[in-house]
Amino acid sequence: MTTNHTTAQGPPELIGLDLSDDLASASLALARKFHRGATLWAVSPQWEPHAHHVAVEFVHPVIMGKRALPSVALVDPDPVAQTRIATRPGDVVIAIASAGDPKVRDLMRRAPAWGAMTIWIGFGPRPGPGSADHVLWVESDDPMVPATGRFVLMYHLLWELTHVCFEHLGVVTVEPEECTEEVCVTCSDEGRLAEAVQAPEPGSMSALVRTAAGEEVVDVTLVGEVRADDLLLVHAGAAITRLDDEQEQ
Amino acid sequence: MTELNKNTDFLYPFIEGAPEDPQALLVDLAASARGKAEVSARLQKDSLEEYEDQIQAAGAKMADRFSRGGRLYTFGNGGSSTDAATLATLFCRPALGRPVPAWSLAADQAVVTALGNDVGFELIFSRQVIAHSKPVDIVVALSTSGNSDDLMVALTEAKHRGLLTIGFAGHSGGSMSTSDDVDYCFTVHSQSIHRIQESHARLGFRLWSVVQEQTRRRAAATMAAAEQGGTR
Repeated sequence: MTTNHTTAQGPPELIGLDLSDDLASASLALARKFHRGATLWAVSPQWEPHAHHVAVEFVHPVIMGKRALPSVALVDPDPVAQTRIATRPGDVVIAIASAGDPKVRDLMRRAPAWGAMTIWIGFGPRPGPGSADHVLWVESDDPMVPATGRFVLMYHLLWELTHVCFEHLGVVTVEPEECTEEVCVTCSDEGRLAEAVQAPEPGSMSALVRTAAGEEVVDVTLVGEVRADDLLLVHAGAAITRLDDEQEQ
Repeated sequence: MTELNKNTDFLYPFIEGAPEDPQALLVDLAASARGKAEVSARLQKDSLEEYEDQIQAAGAKMADRFSRGGRLYTFGNGGSSTDAATLATLFCRPALGRPVPAWSLAADQAVVTALGNDVGFELIFSRQVIAHSKPVDIVVALSTSGNSDDLMVALTEAKHRGLLTIGFAGHSGGSMSTSDDVDYCFTVHSQSIHRIQESHARLGFRLWSVVQEQTRRRAAATMAAAEQGGTR
């Protein structure tokens, strides 16, 4: 075996303790989102077939009697532009990509402004803390990992556990209080993530932005010139900070 | 999943829809993930051991065909079509190693829908085999049942035309495992479509590794012979 730590005795461990916990949390969160009407958008710029496999897994379950769930593979050359238009607040974006993939990094950074939960499957160096809501990572630097079935196992398990959750509706129907530093209005003065939709008209300092809560108009006096797709932090009706392109949150 | 319920029912003495303990569910989900991954890993190991000799033989034949200008066509339905595409990408665009020509026959939606609409779904792959293939080429078909009509028709067409035919099947192998039109059939003995697909991926990766090694050896032998022969 090339990709795993093999022992003479038995097969390699494919899912360790930490990863199994991550899978459990991601599955419950995903089940809760589906229960509230989410669509799962799948992106994999380097390994497109994995995005298609995720979509067909959820839309056409291999086990009779399991409900079909909305999932679509997004495979345009510009996944950020395509996902931006596709997602609605409450949706979920899943990426199968390495941590260094610039398009996916950008996508994961922006998804909170669209109100989308994020799941990131990959291998090699992990994405930084907070890069996605759920990180499901294969701890291996072997460049062949994407072709060995490790990712297939990962999204199969995500699907299987999500459907186990639907057998426990009492847990699924409860949406936990979402409270992260970046998006919670009531408990943070950090501000909420926003993406500019339309720049201010000449002579105006009001820009139309999109946040997890939908579209709103904010004052951009503090941040200066704003163009469409700029990422901003907004607080109390005003943009207070501009996020640079590669600024890690 | 029934087993999971059995193990955890005592934790949920509530009627359906009543509040349950999310923490207990998460613990069960994590244990279930590890259990399924163990089953998958064991099945992969068993399958690799069962088919190592045949994979070596099939890989040698594939390497020979690639060296003579052969191309690889892969196909399957649903999730298996995406696994077929991943396998084709592994051959034609490997992260490491030497690329060889390979395509997934499910990749072109214009071709697939045109054939499906005009001549019938069971002919979507065989018509492409007729259009594209030469006797030196190779087909790899993936089906968890081993019974998909569109795959079987294409395998028969490919065999008839002199191609090397390889099938990945599951359950008890279906038609794929008994057909004379399939030169090598790797049946993953499981009832779970998920676990079968995971082993298909692992076996496909092993097949690719063998082809890479064979190709490397052939090139090394050619280079050594050229050195021995001196200047022309």
